[in-house]
Amino acid sequence: MSSEQEDLKETDTEERFAFKKEESSAFKTEKGLTEETIRLISEDKDEPEWMLERRLRALRQFKEMPMPTDWPGQPDLSEVDLDEIVPYIRPDIDTRGGVDEWDDLPEDIQDTFDKLGIPEAEKKALSGVGAQYESEIVYQNMQERWEEKGVVFCDMDRAVQEHEEIVREYFMTKCVPPSDNKFAALHGAIWSGGSFVYVPEDTTVDMPVQAYFRMNSEGMGQFEHTLIIAEPGSEVHYIEGCSAPQYAAFNLHSGGVEVFVKEDAHVQYSTVQNWSKNTYNLNTKRAIAENGATMEWVSGSMGSKATMLYPSTILKGRGATDNHITIAFAGEGQDIDTGAKVYHNAPNTKSTIESKSIAKDGGRTNYRGLVHIADGAENSSTSVECDALMFDNDSTSDTMPYMEIQESKVDVAHEATVGKIGDEDVFYLQSRGLDDDDAKKMIVAGFIEPITEELPIEYAVELNRLIELEMEGSLG
Amino acid sequence: MARLEIRNLHAEVADDEEETILEGVDLAVESDEIHALMGPNGSGKSTLAKVVAGHPAYRVTEGEVTLHLDGDEFDEPIPEDKRTWDLLDLEPNERAALGIYLGFQYPAEIEGVTMVNFLRTALNAKFEEREELFEDEEDEEEAEEAGYDTSPMEGPADEGEVGVAQFQEILRGKMELLDIDDRFADRYLNAGFSGGEKKQNEVLQAAVLEPEIAILDEIDSGLDIDRLRDVSTGINALRDEEGSGVLMITHYQRILDYVEPDRVHVMLDGQVVMEGGPDLAEKLEDKGYDWVREETYGTA
Amino acid sequence: MSTQVHANLTEEQVRAISDELDEPEWLLETRLDALSALSDLDMPKVIRTPGRDWTNLDALDFESFVDPLEGAEQKERVTAEGAEVLEWSEAVAEHEALVREHFGSVVDTQENYLTALSTALFSTGTLVYVPERVDAEDVKIRTTVDSRSLFNYTLVVTETSASVTILERQSTGDEVEGDRYYSGIVEAVAGENSRIQYGALQNLSEETYNYTLKRGRTDVYATINWIDGNIGSRLTKTEVSTELAGDSSETQIVGAFFGHDDQHFDLDSKVWHYGEHTTADLVMRGVVDDTARSVYEGVQYVGDDAWNTSSYQRENTLMLSDESEADASPKLEIDNHDTEASHSATVGQIDEEDLFYMLTRGIDRESARNQLVEGFFVPVLDEVEVGELRADLRELIAARLRE
Repeated sequence: MSSEQEDLKETDTEERFAFKKEESSAFKTEKGLTEETIRLISEDKDEPEWMLERRLRALRQFKEMPMPTDWPGQPDLSEVDLDEIVPYIRPDIDTRGGVDEWDDLPEDIQDTFDKLGIPEAEKKALSGVGAQYESEIVYQNMQERWEEKGVVFCDMDRAVQEHEEIVREYFMTKCVPPSDNKFAALHGAIWSGGSFVYVPEDTTVDMPVQAYFRMNSEGMGQFEHTLIIAEPGSEVHYIEGCSAPQYAAFNLHSGGVEVFVKEDAHVQYSTVQNWSKNTYNLNTKRAIAENGATMEWVSGSMGSKATMLYPSTILKGRGATDNHITIAFAGEGQDIDTGAKVYHNAPNTKSTIESKSIAKDGGRTNYRGLVHIADGAENSSTSVECDALMFDNDSTSDTMPYMEIQESKVDVAHEATVGKIGDEDVFYLQSRGLDDDDAKKMIVAGFIEPITEELPIEYAVELNRLIELEMEGSLG
Repeated sequence: MARLEIRNLHAEVADDEEETILEGVDLAVESDEIHALMGPNGSGKSTLAKVVAGHPAYRVTEGEVTLHLDGDEFDEPIPEDKRTWDLLDLEPNERAALGIYLGFQYPAEIEGVTMVNFLRTALNAKFEEREELFEDEEDEEEAEEAGYDTSPMEGPADEGEVGVAQFQEILRGKMELLDIDDRFADRYLNAGFSGGEKKQNEVLQAAVLEPEIAILDEIDSGLDIDRLRDVSTGINALRDEEGSGVLMITHYQRILDYVEPDRVHVMLDGQVVMEGGPDLAEKLEDKGYDWVREETYGTA
Repeated sequence: MSTQVHANLTEEQVRAISDELDEPEWLLETRLDALSALSDLDMPKVIRTPGRDWTNLDALDFESFVDPLEGAEQKERVTAEGAEVLEWSEAVAEHEALVREHFGSVVDTQENYLTALSTALFSTGTLVYVPERVDAEDVKIRTTVDSRSLFNYTLVVTETSASVTILERQSTGDEVEGDRYYSGIVEAVAGENSRIQYGALQNLSEETYNYTLKRGRTDVYATINWIDGNIGSRLTKTEVSTELAGDSSETQIVGAFFGHDDQHFDLDSKVWHYGEHTTADLVMRGVVDDTARSVYEGVQYVGDDAWNTSSYQRENTLMLSDESEADASPKLEIDNHDTEASHSATVGQIDEEDLFYMLTRGIDRESARNQLVEGFFVPVLDEVEVGELRADLRELIAARLRE
């Protein structure tokens, strides 16, 4: 292992997630959702009129839509009382849109992200890094050499000001309109912060850009919006990490991600989600892939009380490719309902979905996935593999794939397995001198190995560490 | 005496126009002859075989593939105007009916279809298809005008159909000839066959269908020495007993110890670049394909 | 929902049907309860994905095809030595206690709108009763529907260590103008260490809307094997399922279908593992041609106390036409970790290489396709232990291919 990897591994992951800060903020909205709140947010951000209008329209749609309740086996959302959520907290920093010098951050925020390992991570292997504290980006930095090539990596609020035309064209229009689902509508009304990434034609950003999201206040909702536009022939890898400390009241995270992968472009979007176990994590993530484009989603869901996350790709252009890698770990009290959606809307498109889930101590995992192959999408192929591992009898593991095949010249395969940690395997390892915990850790590592080996190293290391912590049950 | 003639054949992959695989192949094979087609990987040998058999994945852009018949090949004499066929105009099964046989490098595994049913269907389909191909159109029109039903289903072809018992007999004979286990017949087509069994099966099918020209694609790969001998016996029998012409695509000299070719052709980059007698194969064995490359393009 | 209630369905009709069959009071009450529950019941569940219902049962126009008092059929019942195969009036006369014990015990009469409708209106029924240690081969029930609508009910009860093989066929006889409706509920109660093999072949006319629900429950060491062939009907919504209630019990559910024209098959295979050491094997293969659509849902549920469960599911669909559609959702719901479970599903067309291979042997495209489709069904046909059913199914498939 290289020294870089060692450094990454040494970051004290446990500490990174357990601590919490006294909240101190410059501006905080009242609980609940009213037109008044929306106007206040928009005004505080000094937004153009069209954005305010979009927010208000989304709010109306949100109020008209019912909560989703008719999905078989969906997580219990009855506790999610949107009137109890504080939708918007602006941290107390002077510069809007974040500072670009680490030392300019207020000490408590600096301390938080230090513990999360952000500055070290940036030094190592990233092209750019952004960090969001509560509702807004507090730190943003992009290496100069990328800026010179016209690559933009900035927070979403700044993008509304500085790249208004692009944002106006792409923001919650073609990819994730607020009408998509109730939480997308909510997001459209009260979104704040998030990242904007723009990669010009034929530009390859060869190191990942990373954003880190942190909720620190109780009863907080975080609604960051990420918009990635990869122009033809370009390539970028975006990593997001999320965390929050544990409070008694619930938090709500309802992010929105829109990715435009133009002709022959390649975008990888990786998430390590480790929200505190009182967080409802209800996201809408979607990509549109044009001719010959490749979209890759890598999602590790470790935290949250309930997650409903199904990154979706619309394979719109001929020869477009989608890859999904999903890893879910549900411990006590957790309901991780995650999966993938792929729409094959053009010929010669290809998708592969690999899902590994682990349920332990009464947790529930569910793979919920949809593959739709439209009439005319000939020579398309899809392959789905879901494997689940169960630790004990209090846990639940479900698998619910849906396949809609309207084209005959296709190759569709789905496979799933569920099994327990084999006593024989554990015994075998024990007989070689490992204790019970180490044996199980090793088996879990082996279980997810086939997909972690496909992951970027900085991501895989982080993920493995989190899983180990979960296994020890020491992560609050 | 049948003769397969390939002239200036160019072909590309059907859904990728930029990938050309055959760049002007010239080659001819006649009845009663065994030809070896050799060449390095990717030189276009297998593609040539598939194009001649009519695989839909390739598109011919130039050149011709013709089959000339003498007229005495089949049970009934062939009229003069039906002795030359442009194979490229025909469906794969029509080519088969005229006597083109392709032995696959990687034979399809077809679950649920037994060998015996499959081969009997194939044999009868061949007779039926021939009936249609050699049917005199004018006669047919006259017959139709006169109110006769000329559908081949009810004509003499149907009466001539090989029955189950008769076919079992034929199959058993061929299996003995090739020293093949009886149980082959009731197994599903290639499903769960070992590599060697599959190759043996390809030769067995050729023996049953008695082709005019058999193209055998890497029939010798993946065989142990005993099977290689059995397969070779089968190939020699095709020429010596059935009078078939054989185009044997191979990578290695090894099989040529058991099957002596009348001619050897060498392919390189989508063309036949060398031809000669059996000694050419030995030369190749000694000098390797780099020698061919040098001879073709001058010193590298 | 609940807008389906047939305006002309009355208590009097239900009383008349029950009276005709000389039913005891409790059964009449059950029927009347089902009738009055109709307005509160939903259609059987169908799969919904964003923007799409996989089967739209709410669009069924019951007005046009339910004709409760005019049920007409030809029925052929072949009994086997030692077993009793009784028409419904005899069943309630001779085995009232048995019927009362088991009727509605596996399938809740008010599980959904269509089961309640069937309960209220069934005018023909069969009891297959196999006493202890009797081995009954070749029980046959053939139903030929002659009327616009027909509601059919079947109860199978095997006592300890009994065994029975039942072959059921449904088809349509006399032609009727317009749409038709067939509804069949089958309950199978397998006693300790007994074995039920139930094969069904549905070949109703293509004007028929078909709802069938076959469900069994196993006692300790019992086995229930279902074979379900669907060839006919315009729209079929069917569930074939087993509750593995007894420890060490087993089930196999084998299905085959062949849809063409604008047929719509919505086929559910379900198993609930409740007992310990239970085993399930679900196998489904089908073909869709023309503009036909198949919808498959397979559910393997493993309960909290179902220790040492083995559960397998395979589904394969072959699409013969570009205008057809094949939807599938194989689900695993596992609450006990001491489980080995898997499922797999594939959708595809005839393999081009396979087809080419056959063409090079001189077989024409049409017969090559037919051989390949027939070959595709072989793995499920091999699972069918009832020889007569296997032959019938093979014949129907061959006939459809050569239409």
